[in-house]
Amino acid sequence: MGDVSQLNEYEYIEGKERKSLLSKSLRPFALIFSSRTATVGFAIVSFWIIVSVFAPFLTPYSPTYQDWKAPNQGPSWNHPLGTDELGRDLWARLIYGARIVLVIFPVSSGLWLPGGTALWGVAMALLVGSTLGLISGYKGGWIDEIVMRLLDAMISIPVILLYLLLVAALGASAVNVVIAIAIVGAPGIARLVRGLTLDIKTRDYIRAAETRGESSLYIMFVEILPNTKGPIIIDAMLRVGYAVFAMGTLGFLGLGLPPPSPDWGSMVAKGREFILAGAPWAALWPSVAIASLVVGLNLLADGLREELTRYQ
Amino acid sequence: MGWFILRRLVLLLVTMVIVSVGVFIITEASPGNVARNLLGSFVTPEQEASFLNQLGLDEPLWKRYLYWLAGTDWIASKRIGLPLERLTTERGFTEWWAKLPSGDLIRWQLKGEDLVAVIKHQDGRIEEKLDNRRWRKGGGGREFFWGVDLHNRAVLWQKGLSKKQWVYVHGKGWVEAAGGATDYIPLKKGFLRGDPGISLRTGRPVAKSLFVRLRNSLVLASISFVIVMPIALALGIVAGLTAERPIDRALSIVGMAFSVIPEFAMGIFLILIFALWLRWLPGASVFGNHAPWERPDMLILPVLTLSLIELGYVLRITRASMVEVMRSPYIRTAYLKGLPHHVVVFKHALRNALIAPITVIMLHVNWLLGGVVIVEVVFGYSGLGKYLLDSAMYKDINALEAGAMIMVVVAVGTQLVADIAYTFLNPRIRFK
Amino acid sequence: MSSQKINEQVLELKNQMDKGLLSRREFLRYAALLGVSLPVALRMVGLVASPKLQAAPVRRGGTIKVSSQVHKITHPAQISWLAPSNQCRHIAEYLTFTDSNNITHPYLLKNWEVSDDLKTWTLNLRQGIKFNNGDELTADDVVFTMNQWLNKDVGSSMLGLMSGYLDPTGIEKVSKYQIRLHLKRPEIAVPEHLFHYPAMILNHRTFEGDFIKKPHGTGPFVLAEYREGERCVLKARKDYWRKGSDGSPLPYLDGIEFLDMGAEMAPHIGALKTGEIHVIEASDMGGIDLYLSFKNDPNVTVHAVATAQTRVLRMRVDRKPWDDNRVRKALKLCQNREKILALAYYKQGLLGQDFHVYPKHPEYCPKPVPKYDPEKARQLLKEAGYPNGIEVNLAVGSDWADVVRYAEILKEDAAPAGFRINIQTMPASQYWEKWTEVDLGITPWTHRPLGTMVLNLAYVADDQGKPVPWNETRWVDKEFCDLVTQANGILNVEERRKVFCKIEDIMVERGPIGISYWRNTWLPARKVVQNITAHPTGYLVLTETWIAKKS
Repeated sequence: MGDVSQLNEYEYIEGKERKSLLSKSLRPFALIFSSRTATVGFAIVSFWIIVSVFAPFLTPYSPTYQDWKAPNQGPSWNHPLGTDELGRDLWARLIYGARIVLVIFPVSSGLWLPGGTALWGVAMALLVGSTLGLISGYKGGWIDEIVMRLLDAMISIPVILLYLLLVAALGASAVNVVIAIAIVGAPGIARLVRGLTLDIKTRDYIRAAETRGESSLYIMFVEILPNTKGPIIIDAMLRVGYAVFAMGTLGFLGLGLPPPSPDWGSMVAKGREFILAGAPWAALWPSVAIASLVVGLNLLADGLREELTRYQ
Repeated sequence: MGWFILRRLVLLLVTMVIVSVGVFIITEASPGNVARNLLGSFVTPEQEASFLNQLGLDEPLWKRYLYWLAGTDWIASKRIGLPLERLTTERGFTEWWAKLPSGDLIRWQLKGEDLVAVIKHQDGRIEEKLDNRRWRKGGGGREFFWGVDLHNRAVLWQKGLSKKQWVYVHGKGWVEAAGGATDYIPLKKGFLRGDPGISLRTGRPVAKSLFVRLRNSLVLASISFVIVMPIALALGIVAGLTAERPIDRALSIVGMAFSVIPEFAMGIFLILIFALWLRWLPGASVFGNHAPWERPDMLILPVLTLSLIELGYVLRITRASMVEVMRSPYIRTAYLKGLPHHVVVFKHALRNALIAPITVIMLHVNWLLGGVVIVEVVFGYSGLGKYLLDSAMYKDINALEAGAMIMVVVAVGTQLVADIAYTFLNPRIRFK
Repeated sequence: MSSQKINEQVLELKNQMDKGLLSRREFLRYAALLGVSLPVALRMVGLVASPKLQAAPVRRGGTIKVSSQVHKITHPAQISWLAPSNQCRHIAEYLTFTDSNNITHPYLLKNWEVSDDLKTWTLNLRQGIKFNNGDELTADDVVFTMNQWLNKDVGSSMLGLMSGYLDPTGIEKVSKYQIRLHLKRPEIAVPEHLFHYPAMILNHRTFEGDFIKKPHGTGPFVLAEYREGERCVLKARKDYWRKGSDGSPLPYLDGIEFLDMGAEMAPHIGALKTGEIHVIEASDMGGIDLYLSFKNDPNVTVHAVATAQTRVLRMRVDRKPWDDNRVRKALKLCQNREKILALAYYKQGLLGQDFHVYPKHPEYCPKPVPKYDPEKARQLLKEAGYPNGIEVNLAVGSDWADVVRYAEILKEDAAPAGFRINIQTMPASQYWEKWTEVDLGITPWTHRPLGTMVLNLAYVADDQGKPVPWNETRWVDKEFCDLVTQANGILNVEERRKVFCKIEDIMVERGPIGISYWRNTWLPARKVVQNITAHPTGYLVLTETWIAKKS
């Protein structure tokens, strides 16, 4: 979104208000709660984070436990959201599925990293994108020209085409989903960071650092990067939304995490088979979950942005 | 301005090159094998090799890319020593012939050890005759010949090869012959000359099937575009004018929700509501041999899905733009002048407020394409997106390339249009 | 074989049937095998061949719409999928016809005769059958077509089926209407093979490699339009050689339209529900969703048929850990068969017993269904040297929903035994690419009417003792191979069943596969479509189908 770059006044605010550590750590919350939109978004996102973190305490079922006498059931006392085609509890699958998105990143069968798959995707995109943006913006010249033209080309490739090619080529796994999200997200972040860098580069403290003889690496990552964090954080929040969106879409196209992982997109894809057969629950709930999480993240980001704009 | 457009066109070309090379490399690197996909799982390695050879898929990657881009007829023509010509028969089949100096067209067939020329005279008469004088001596005393066969391929026939083949000869029955075809170049004009080649999956020209798919997708996209634009712009303006009031809040939140809900989720919600519970509309789009507009009831849900998502997006942009314009000094001046509200809004604000949405929507086409793909899959709508998805799964490289190129042209082309439109709508930046 | 001899054998068969050794179905099948025409055989079992009289009189006219994938077709012998064969079989025809009850009849053939040693088959063509371009069907066409099958360059799957017993030199044209096949080894399934889907008889005068360009066959329909990925339109011909029950030539229909609706089942289902199409020809995509979607639909009949289609859990015995029979046995014990059939296939099939012989195969020897026993499996794994369990990868094609469910259930139920299964999904096309190569995978196998047919294809060695090409598990067991060879040469069902009892035991004891269930398949059609039957092999034959007036 182009209008994010208007917000690079954010660091002014921060520069002005040097308060205690406590109030500083509370400040984002104050910001969130001062906007009703952000509050609603925050509530939705928190809901999903909480249920996914505490998933084992919120359901007696494992997401893969198969009650083979009760497949494709509607909501009931035993199964609050019903069961899927293998008699697995949909509520359990839904909240364990949220874990994959938000809390854990299943690298391989034995290795799980903290931080959800969507978050890792965005983090990788940030890493690649901001490095490219910093170099391009700070160095300028022909490096800038080449990087930007390549990124322009990347951006103009339809996103869905990239997803299809990447995951169809690499195969379906959490790692490949992260790679796909990163590659699709990086050019946008690079553009944003480059814009911010071009602006910050002209500031006095950068001049000062240059006269001090600091290396360009130091200047880029220590002087410039921290000052771009405001807009980047909001952009990243939107991108987590896109990443959730992308994970769902990939899963839906059959390019998601391998079964029996409770990947939301894959759940929809499988449940869809039974909609017309009269058992819509397995497709309905994960659709609701994806939609609500994406909406929540967007509300949060939108609200925050609005609040920040108001400060100006 | 001209410089700017030129720059954009160069970008388009660069993007197309990057994408086309990328598609080749990725398809090459990914698991999956066309021969197995097509011939079934039970082919023997020899059959597979022969198949790949006949389709020219055993060439190295760069060569295949070159052939795809620039065609193969010029190379084949050099080998054969005659110019080649492509014809389309009245039944719609493509045929390649070599052109004799006399102007007659010629192709060859290997019958036993005999080369048989099939000659198409200019008056349309077709003649078959023995043409053994064309065998040329090659290394090792072998006799070989490059010619065009009846299946649109340039073929290197070799006599006296130990490879055995069963060839059927009229009147004689089956004879075992030595001297089979050893190398093939499938003939095509190349993408640059408007020939995207033959689909490996269907064996027929990509251009033909792509056209119908493209048409279907365009129908879907343009109907929803026509529906969405006036409604979304109107609602966006309403929201912008009532900024911060309940109407605006409601519209903004609904718009945002619509714009970020994944298309497949939206599609499923709509199918559940309208097809399963209310039973008003069919839950899938199956046109058969009808054009999409002949079955409007089946178009409704896909169009609605796509529209709702676009509606949200356009609404948000329009609202933001309207809010910004209404806060600008010249609008304040207009009010101060004492102009009535509706005059200010319709005469002054609207025009400026619409600049942003119109251009931004164009930039959004890239994203919209993704939506079209998903909507097509959800509803089984046979359009470009599904074609692309199927081709990607099949490793049908020619079809995939053609589909990808169309997508890139649409995405980058609309961006170009947006930029040009922007400079016209906003004279201030024209001379920057 | 003299007709005297045929009669003796048929009487012997009838004798067996009367003693209860042979079911009626089996009797019909074997009588047909001996070349006795169906009406005669039916009379012998005390049935009268029903002259296909319907309650309502047949109504002519109308075009039937079928959803079916429209693939690329060039050479019919190269067809490797069901859908194109279901389109082409209405244009070109087969020498024989295997009906829904697994009984094979002569079709373009008047009859066949087989020598005692099952090595010489004499095929007698019907006379006076015309191709749709006016040419007469003669032995030359049959010889030509058979040579196409056996031509390596054509690459027909008939080659794999027949090359083991037939060389091009073994095809002899005796007269204008008679062909004799001289086999290299005894083979009982020749008539069945002649109905294998690529085995359409082509016109030797006009066929040049692309059937779409010159679609000349003897069938009841002619090709009007063919567009891959879109549709295939057929029109009835007026001079077809078979007559309908009203005395005029078949078919009853004016035409058939095959519409390609893609690989997703939902659009097909939607279209049939709304009446946009009459029939879903699902090929191998047709899963349980067809049955579930239509079982309560008042406008649709789901024609069901039990088949020997199955999903084979196959282990490469030349790779660790599957080279150890204890590990194989352990995994087989982890199949909770009733649960798998219930969840993966909604109980719409028969339970399997880990040998590739289907309970309705004529030579099937009844055996108990193995029980789910994770404890014993755990014990076996321990003995094999995996006290802490073992991690294995299971390859499955994601396009087959029931295979994926099977895998998910197996993963869950094998966990207590110590198997940690990683399911690796891939598009079906990718699975087919490495189906013979993966260590552990689930391979769909199609229906075959005789028990020996699959065993010969997938579980034996060739002359040099190497696994045959489709032996995806590389399992070569000397005793087993000998028994299969022995069974191939036995015509008498009871004798053959005795051999099969041993064959089945060996497969249970040390075989390379698990089979949990045999699938029913369905042919959903609108109620107005009359005289249509589901075929266990997924073949769709609309020659005698007609459309009733809407009530």
